[in-house]
Amino acid sequence: MKRFLKSLLAKYILIILIAIFLIQAAYFIIIFVFFNLMEDTDSPEDGQNSFTEIEAEWHREAHQVITKDDIKHLFEEWQEVYPDASMFRVNGDGVLDVQSNLQENLPDKWDVTYTAQFLKSHYEGDPFTVVAFTGEHEEDGFIVFQLPREVMQPYGQRLFNQYSWAIIMLTMGIVLLFILLSLWFFRGIRKRLVHLQEAMEIRDIDGMPILIEEKKQDEIGDLEKSFNRMVQELRESREREQEEEQLRKELIANLSHDLRTPLTKINAQAYALQKMDLPIEAKHSLKLTSASIEDVDKLIENLMSYTLLMASKYKKDLKEIDMSRFLRQYLAAWYPVFEKEGFTVDVDIVPFEQNTWKVDSLWLSRILDNLLQNVLRHAADGKYIAVRTESSELNDAIVVIDKGKGMQVDTEQKGAGIGLSIVDMMVKGMHLDWEIDSTEQGTTIKIIREKRAGN
Amino acid sequence: MAQILYIEDEKEIGQWVTEDLTGRGHEVNWLTSGVELEKHISNIDLAILDIMLPGLDGFSIGKRIKKANQDTPIIMLSARSAVEDKLEGLSFADDYVTKPFHPDELAARVDALLRRFQKEEDALEIGHLQIDMKSLIIINKHTEEEILLTGKQFQLFQYFLRHLNQILTKEQLYEGVWGEQFMDGDKTLMVHIRYLREKIEENPAKPVIIETIRGIGYRVKK
Repeated sequence: MKRFLKSLLAKYILIILIAIFLIQAAYFIIIFVFFNLMEDTDSPEDGQNSFTEIEAEWHREAHQVITKDDIKHLFEEWQEVYPDASMFRVNGDGVLDVQSNLQENLPDKWDVTYTAQFLKSHYEGDPFTVVAFTGEHEEDGFIVFQLPREVMQPYGQRLFNQYSWAIIMLTMGIVLLFILLSLWFFRGIRKRLVHLQEAMEIRDIDGMPILIEEKKQDEIGDLEKSFNRMVQELRESREREQEEEQLRKELIANLSHDLRTPLTKINAQAYALQKMDLPIEAKHSLKLTSASIEDVDKLIENLMSYTLLMASKYKKDLKEIDMSRFLRQYLAAWYPVFEKEGFTVDVDIVPFEQNTWKVDSLWLSRILDNLLQNVLRHAADGKYIAVRTESSELNDAIVVIDKGKGMQVDTEQKGAGIGLSIVDMMVKGMHLDWEIDSTEQGTTIKIIREKRAGN
Repeated sequence: MAQILYIEDEKEIGQWVTEDLTGRGHEVNWLTSGVELEKHISNIDLAILDIMLPGLDGFSIGKRIKKANQDTPIIMLSARSAVEDKLEGLSFADDYVTKPFHPDELAARVDALLRRFQKEEDALEIGHLQIDMKSLIIINKHTEEEILLTGKQFQLFQYFLRHLNQILTKEQLYEGVWGEQFMDGDKTLMVHIRYLREKIEENPAKPVIIETIRGIGYRVKK
């Protein structure tokens, strides 16, 4: 129940009830005020009498006047009290001889027919008409008092006529008040909804939505609460994911570490043995041992990278890189290795027209490492390596050429497979392409970047 | 001949590396953990650190050494080869070598770092040149005459000496010596190298001191 009272629904119902109450109350007030006044139809203006009183008074006064002067005097008195009234007298001979403020067009001579007609037409009509015989005798004639009924309209009625605009204004005011109240109510809701929407759009530095302040305990408050709960769950799941990722990386790193440590020990022993005075065959097998250790090492490295790449967990950071500069610097490190093996190294790097590539330099190094290592291990017979840049109309390419026996002939070197899979994944991961052309005369590998229009 | 601090918990590897580096004329102080680091920290020319160690790991030890003396070169020597590890290592260390490694490679990297931090012996001989690294006087052994270089030639040659055996690209040389961004097609460097060769090479048409590595750059080998 307490919750319901705090809800928006309850507030809205309250507003409706207030509105209904206001309208009802307004009607009651109007009805009470005006009808109460109107009911009292005889209530006269100050100093004036009601119709019945006028009638009685007129009759009473009529009895006391006989002479023309009396009547004139009477008319003057009444005229003062009722300025809108008209009065006249028809004497015993049927002649209209005294009049005051006469509005109607009346004949001077009244016969019975006309008198009857006059009485008939003015009975209960407007103006309000009282006919009274003067003096004690009916043959003395009669006096007539006429008063426009509107003068004597009930107070309420006149008030109503006079102040009807006020009633309309009051009604409109109430309607307006209701509209304002509703607007105020909905504006409040709207403001909070917009605020909520804005808050939902905001992202933390880690790309997560942020928690929002829970203000009230109504429906929107519930929404805020749900949103916060969702954010919390999202964060927890992200944390879990990061933890898992961390564990996975740790596991792979530790595994490779634990595999490499004994390899290093074997290497140390082999190296120590090599220093000794041994027969040629023994030295040869030691050399093979060392080479195998190196192969296993590269294999571990590749497996590790492959696992990370497959799980899309290999760190990638694409940046604008000056390609010719990068290649020269990169090859400067590899040159001594090939030099030592007696390779002819043919480097021909010309800056591309679009020389800035958006790549991860570590990834590109890794790709080239794999390619050059393959040349070193599987194409050493050719004693030749070339690294060039090449441009066609549509593409730019980095080209690595060797003169080994080609890949098809290569049956011993199964290890190259995973190395090339990594090259493939990394090349595609940086939106580049590559192609490989291997014959018995040698292998050509191109890493291709499509030329960008207007770049 | 340098004082090398080597921290490695694997006995076999530690012994092997210590013997090899000692055999190459260095004085190696091998510890199996960073516990007694403070005792040795003040008197070392170079440090070789494993990462996975009991107690303090190699990263923390390396940072301490750098904090004590910024000019002590550090080589991280580890079986951890993940990019993240390398990046963390290289954030303070000067080189990162992964196991298994060839002792020649380690020795070469030790020499390169000692040279870069100028902890090497005072005299150097390259071909027919004898160079005093302190005073930087260059003597032609054949004629016993001193070779005098102009300012830029001297700077250029000094840059080569600091990066001995390393292939330097045009960009690296230009930016290292002139301190400005290299623009493609700029001939300044080539002109200076030609002048330098005319002074120090016996036969400038067939240079042996400053080698041209075609397509990549130049190199001065010991």
